[in-house]
Amino acid sequence: MAAAAAALLWAGPAAAYLTVTAETDRTSVEINENLYLTVTVAGDSASVPEPKLPNMQNFNVYSSGRSQSISIINGKITTSVSFTYILTPRFLGAQTIPSITVSNGKEKAAAPEIRITVSKAAQGAAQQAKPARRAAGGARAAKGDQLFLKAETDRKAAYVGEQINFSIRFYTAVPLSSNPQYIPPSFKNLIAEDLPPVRNGETTINGVRYSYSEIKTALFALTPGPAQIKPASVIAQVSVDDQLDPFDPNFFQKMMAMSGAQGQSRQLSTDQLDIEIKPLPGGAPASFAGAVGSYTVSAASDRSDAKAGEAVNFSVTVNGSGNLKAVTAPKLPDLADFKVFDTMSSLDVRKDNDVISGRKTFTYILVPRSEGRKTIPPVKFSFFDPKTGGYRELQTEPVTMNVEKGQQEGRSVNFAGVAEASQVTPSGSDIRYVSEETGGGNLPFLAAKAARLPLWVHALPAALLALTFWLARLNRFRADNPLLFRFRRARSEADRDVDEAEALIKAGKPNEAVSLLYDSFMDYLSDKCGAKVSALTMRKAVELMRARFPRAGDRAADEVQELWSALELRHFSPEAAGSEGAGDLAKKYSLLIELLEKELK
Amino acid sequence: MTKRLLAFLLLALPACAAALDRSELAELNDMYRGGKYEEALEGYNKAIAADPSDPWAWYNAGNALFRLNRNGQAVYHYARAFTLDPRSPDIRANLDFALKQTGQALVPDGVPAALHYLYYLLSLDELKALAALLFWAACLAGAARFLMDGARPGVLAGRAALAAAALLLLSLAWLGARRTSPFTSAGVVTRAGGTRMLSGPGENFKTYASAPEGRLVKILDADDDDYYEIGLAKEGIKGWALKTEIDRL
Repeated sequence: MAAAAAALLWAGPAAAYLTVTAETDRTSVEINENLYLTVTVAGDSASVPEPKLPNMQNFNVYSSGRSQSISIINGKITTSVSFTYILTPRFLGAQTIPSITVSNGKEKAAAPEIRITVSKAAQGAAQQAKPARRAAGGARAAKGDQLFLKAETDRKAAYVGEQINFSIRFYTAVPLSSNPQYIPPSFKNLIAEDLPPVRNGETTINGVRYSYSEIKTALFALTPGPAQIKPASVIAQVSVDDQLDPFDPNFFQKMMAMSGAQGQSRQLSTDQLDIEIKPLPGGAPASFAGAVGSYTVSAASDRSDAKAGEAVNFSVTVNGSGNLKAVTAPKLPDLADFKVFDTMSSLDVRKDNDVISGRKTFTYILVPRSEGRKTIPPVKFSFFDPKTGGYRELQTEPVTMNVEKGQQEGRSVNFAGVAEASQVTPSGSDIRYVSEETGGGNLPFLAAKAARLPLWVHALPAALLALTFWLARLNRFRADNPLLFRFRRARSEADRDVDEAEALIKAGKPNEAVSLLYDSFMDYLSDKCGAKVSALTMRKAVELMRARFPRAGDRAADEVQELWSALELRHFSPEAAGSEGAGDLAKKYSLLIELLEKELK
Repeated sequence: MTKRLLAFLLLALPACAAALDRSELAELNDMYRGGKYEEALEGYNKAIAADPSDPWAWYNAGNALFRLNRNGQAVYHYARAFTLDPRSPDIRANLDFALKQTGQALVPDGVPAALHYLYYLLSLDELKALAALLFWAACLAGAARFLMDGARPGVLAGRAALAAAALLLLSLAWLGARRTSPFTSAGVVTRAGGTRMLSGPGENFKTYASAPEGRLVKILDADDDDYYEIGLAKEGIKGWALKTEIDRL
């Protein structure tokens, strides 16, 4: 370990942090060697952003893999991801790896630049090897065959998700005056992963010795059907004066180290390659979720003793070769004894021997509901093995733990709370998941019922409103015109009094009957005349009646005076009144009312 | 009166119980999760048949249809769910997503999202119920005002009646505005590949336009046995389309 550089940029509150460190395995390297750059990003969230590598003209950069570690302690997450790159120097001298930055949207961290010294390759070995190769090389290549490019895949047909290795070789039998420019191909229905480093070597073809440089890429098909690798190109400057010997063991690096030399420009391109992508066969197990490759699966919990209500980390690890990035979390079996909260994954990828392999760990947060001995049943994981052409279903061993009574039943655990600093990068959109809800709820139900009530139901309050309105108007009118109402009701009240008086007479109470008739007659006249008649003399009362009702005849006035006198006499001299007299008075009163109703208008 | 109302509510609530219990729904959702969309759809359709007023049954069926690439049917089901529960963020999101697959959008261009949300805050049934409630409140408060004519409580009741009447007018205006909504008197083209728009209700008329699958259309005339007269407001054209190719909302 030669050099290490680290920079921490702390942004915002102390509760959240994001760091990035960058280091190389050495600070000086020969032009024909590679160096490893490891960039480690750490943060307090479930996922951390990938570092953004700066544009490095002085190195060829290849992704070599990643390694991730996550720790969860009391619901607090710490994540550290190491990204490894292989750097091939292109020029001699002091070179710089610029500052590497990461950002999660809220915070930004940067690692300082790293200085690398690139020196010439050891001369001894090269000089010794050169004549031997010259001798062995024998013939010189024809001009047209001095440079060529060859692209091939290790198979012409593959299953969806199966690894396909794509190799492109640049052969040269002549010196180059500068580094060739490699233009990688584009892919259709394929995703690519670098398989570094660049391999250099020599070979003899048709008696001509060539120096070659090989770049490999792992490809994974996305969907059944045709897949294509579009043409790749190399632009090379062929030296006029043989400055570089293609059989020099450091040829490729030397040629890259040269710049600005004069030469003839040559562009070479490969042909398009077609690959047939076969669909996965039917009969996949229920637990199959698209994984293709060769895997093993294991499960473990972070403790064997826990308390109810406290979070336990339960991890399912998928290990093996294949496109691990595409492996999704296995579905947990029904866990009646646990509440299941968020899931997160960590990914370690290796590229040894040109095979994409590694490990993907899915961590589930489980919270035991109650105390006792609890078992997490086996978790099933299945994959398609392209070597055997069939599916395999694996399952983990059951995991048992002792759960003691806890104090925090069902405490909620959520990664979102501690992942505030993570950067959200939309990568697509989709419909939202099906709902667990059922039924329309009470409010819409009642609203629908109310909206469908028959119209006549709504007429009820309207009728009530109209009725009360009419009553209010009537009351006001009555309040504004009290005499009119007394005038109108005088007849009915008098009739009622007559009935009552006759009942009293039948009951043998003539005196009370006469008193009632007298009071009733006074009230009747008062209601008709609009003044209290009992306070007036008979003559004044009759004058008042004549004044108010000028069209009333003399007969009415006479009969009023006659009845008044008779009632006064009987009322104030009850001893003179017999039962027959009271009855006559009642009849007279009744007849007089009928007459007055006609006259007093 | 209060007791009777409570008794009515207690009797009414069990009637709105869901057509599916939780375990049945979980089973269907597991099918959906496992990619068995046809089987899940069959179950969701049964739930719709049992309770057509359940917006979640329509929503879940819409999801299954969307996964089956039947975008027209998915739009129709999401639209039905939306008319029943326009406030649900999930329903709004999926309807908008499905509409966007067919070149439409839930919130038209230039319309503020908040205003659009307010416009669809209540379903049509809820709006009608609100109007009825305000009508009853205005009438009863007005009756109280007349019964207590001249007294202070009567004055307060009168003010309440006026306020309820004003709100009633607003709710009626809102209801009227909703009549012009794209989801009122509307349908969705559910035939895969879209529907032809003819110049009259019959095959002997000329085809002069086509409406794509999933397109929301206004139904202008539904009297014919076999054809709807439909209108495309955005393009300003109308024509006749087979009823079997359009599902009415």
